[in-house]
Amino acid sequence: VAERWNRARVLALARDASSLRAAQLLATGRSWPLTGAADGSALWGECLGSAAAPYRTVVDLSGPAYRCSCPSRKFPCKHALALLLLWSDDAVGPDGDPPEWAATWLASRSTRASDTKDPKPPADPAAALRRARQREARVATGMTELDRWLCDQVRQGLAASQRSGYRHWDDIAARMVDAQAPGLAERLRALAAVPYSGSGWDGRLLEEYALLRLLATAGREQAALPPPLRDTVRSRVGFTVRQADVLASATPVRDHWHVLATRDLDQDRIRIRRVWLRGQHTGRPALVLSFAAVGQSLDDSLTVGTKTDADLAFYPAAVPLRALVAARHDTVPADPPPGGTIAGLLAGYAAALGQDPWLDTWPALLDATPARAPFRCLYDAAGEALPLHPGAADCWPLFALSGGHPLTVAAEWTPRGLWPLTAWDQGGMVVRL
Amino acid sequence: LSTWHDLVTASLIGTERTVVPPVGIPGLPPAADDPGDPAAILLDRAALLTAARRAGRRPDRAEPLPVCEPDRRPAVNPAAAGRLARLLGDQDPALLVEWLTAVVARGLRLPPQYLPALLDLARRLQPSRAALADLVAQAGGPRVQWLAALNPDWKFVAAALAGEDAWRLGGRGQRRAYLAALVASDPATAQDLVNSSWAAADPAERKMFLLVLADGLGLAAEPLLEAALDDPAEYARAWAAELLARLPGSALGQRMAERALRCVRLEHGERGARLVITPPAECDASMRRDGITPGPAAGPHPPAYPPAPPERIRLLLGVVARTPLRTWTDAFALTAAQVVASRSGEWAPVLFTGWTRAAIAQRDHDWTAALISHALAGRLPGTAAEIQALGQLARRADPVLGVPDTLPELWPDAPPVISAALGVLRFRYDMLKELSDDGHDG
Repeated sequence: VAERWNRARVLALARDASSLRAAQLLATGRSWPLTGAADGSALWGECLGSAAAPYRTVVDLSGPAYRCSCPSRKFPCKHALALLLLWSDDAVGPDGDPPEWAATWLASRSTRASDTKDPKPPADPAAALRRARQREARVATGMTELDRWLCDQVRQGLAASQRSGYRHWDDIAARMVDAQAPGLAERLRALAAVPYSGSGWDGRLLEEYALLRLLATAGREQAALPPPLRDTVRSRVGFTVRQADVLASATPVRDHWHVLATRDLDQDRIRIRRVWLRGQHTGRPALVLSFAAVGQSLDDSLTVGTKTDADLAFYPAAVPLRALVAARHDTVPADPPPGGTIAGLLAGYAAALGQDPWLDTWPALLDATPARAPFRCLYDAAGEALPLHPGAADCWPLFALSGGHPLTVAAEWTPRGLWPLTAWDQGGMVVRL
Repeated sequence: LSTWHDLVTASLIGTERTVVPPVGIPGLPPAADDPGDPAAILLDRAALLTAARRAGRRPDRAEPLPVCEPDRRPAVNPAAAGRLARLLGDQDPALLVEWLTAVVARGLRLPPQYLPALLDLARRLQPSRAALADLVAQAGGPRVQWLAALNPDWKFVAAALAGEDAWRLGGRGQRRAYLAALVASDPATAQDLVNSSWAAADPAERKMFLLVLADGLGLAAEPLLEAALDDPAEYARAWAAELLARLPGSALGQRMAERALRCVRLEHGERGARLVITPPAECDASMRRDGITPGPAAGPHPPAYPPAPPERIRLLLGVVARTPLRTWTDAFALTAAQVVASRSGEWAPVLFTGWTRAAIAQRDHDWTAALISHALAGRLPGTAAEIQALGQLARRADPVLGVPDTLPELWPDAPPVISAALGVLRFRYDMLKELSDDGHDG
């Protein structure tokens, strides 16, 4: 039986203030002639609205995932939120079997969930093998083409890039999509912004081109690489590893995982959520990714500032960072995580770069104080400082929280600077930035 | 040996037109002459140097900021902090002002991470809502001053002027605060100050003077407001009338009460008590002096309005809205709820709107409760004027009305305006209750 969520956790699911307010108004027994729950795993209810027929709302608590007959395109809609609020107040009907309209959807969810966990073996192994070989060949051709393109850029000089426009990178990116190397395509598409990223853009563009050639070269000669590095290269080129294979092959790492930070990115109609974890006993960093179409809700199961006793299965890589939650045992009380020093962060990043030279986002957890001169930065007790990322808005909330005092800050470290995501003040209160 | 900078320069020019500089990396043997494609060689050297530079990055040095003075007040509890975040998301200044006022009154401290957003909002609304800026400064305490010293955009909160400087140099909010304090401590001087500043003041300023005096002095401000009824400027006359109508026991209120009782009679018939209406025939000079404006009613009338010439309806509405509410309960020997529930046929929307406006102006809790209850459980408000007045009433009502079970149940297909009005009341009640809950952290 899942633990009943408190009100704050429910409210945190709202997409915007208006659905929140609407949900609070709807969260009264009067609006809900019928509600029910199944063993703490699902909720359902009928809500009186402006239409003649009541809206039918179902919440699958394991996702959480939502289904409602109302026309709203928000997930969760106000009805789902209101139903969760009622449940959080212990005001839904008794446990029981769901009515048919809820049961159908819940059943389709659990089938889908088990589908992704236990994919059926391919119908025709020979055909699958043939397709896989075809793809390898296409990717190899694509990498050769990319290498030629990169060398052409440097031969003609990068000075022209500032006048090139987005098409310049979109075209080569599209060719990498055709070559079934989406990882390369994504890196190339991101380059279009570099010439407009302020002073030093030329150096940054050269860095990216150089690392791309390194990746293309490594990809063509992957047979000669040690297996973990090969896995890294393949995943960066765009070969995906199925979740089921990760769960089957990785030895799970059990620890109390502190949820340090999340960052949501919009990429090409897909929303990506990065959740950064750190194991209390192993000290290991981990990155859990989730994806959703724009307008769909991302995985909310890992809440910043909490700690979860869980088994993580790491994707194979030279620097294993990305992981899946294989099993969750319990939520354990969370105290502020112990922050480190800037020297420690740089040493850890340097060691990781030695294994994976393409690694450009590395989790930082620092005891540090923000300052504004000579540039916006964080400095630690040893007086060492690293700049804040120029793209990370103005960071005023971080400064306001600090008031000139040290904080524990979780951030993403990149070659351009720190992107602060979460801070713990001196009272230990967690604040998402 | 060359540096990264040389490589970048060569890549900008292009290997067609320049040579690839050799690159040395400490700890690695120098690259041998490579016979391959110069562009590929440049990219390979750049890759090596990129990884080396990233891995070998040296930290910088910072200039620390001054340390902020401590704020000893207890922090608002997490639930209230969450509400602040939502209020900021909604950008609703009226509710924020109410919430911040309650925070200041309880001597609580704001969560510092929200101060930048609050400061930005206060700055954006600066001229029209000077009160918000003052409240942010008070509730934010030393942390706000610390932030204002870092960001020139927020200097407006740092410019807290003291004493007479606030009057001479401050913005309207500061002048208002100064005058209000003076009214409380030394009413005679405050009146002198207003008298000597009146001629030079602009309309908004004069309105502020009248508001502060009426608020702070009560009936003692009546002579001044009565005199303003004969002011040459129309807005001053209108505001003086408005404020006198709010003052319980004013002579204007008494004059209105007499007019009102000439227009509205209570009759006991076979079907119980009902109100019989005779709207004023014309707007005479004394009514005009008391702030009732003649002329055609604004906008078309909904069909529910009674069969009477629009200007007479408007005159009745003006009289009812300015009549002290106790006039009705005293004259008819009924409670507010009974008066509101009395039948008045097609005149009901006019009376309801008038009473609602009066309840807002006179801040009368009993009438507010009676009117909202009536709207929830009795006749639905139908006209636009009624709906608008009810919405404003709910906004200004005492949040105590939001206590669960104080007001009647909301029926499921209630029109949105009613549920919204009730929602606002409940929201404000929750908001203030939350601030008083235990569990302040820190």
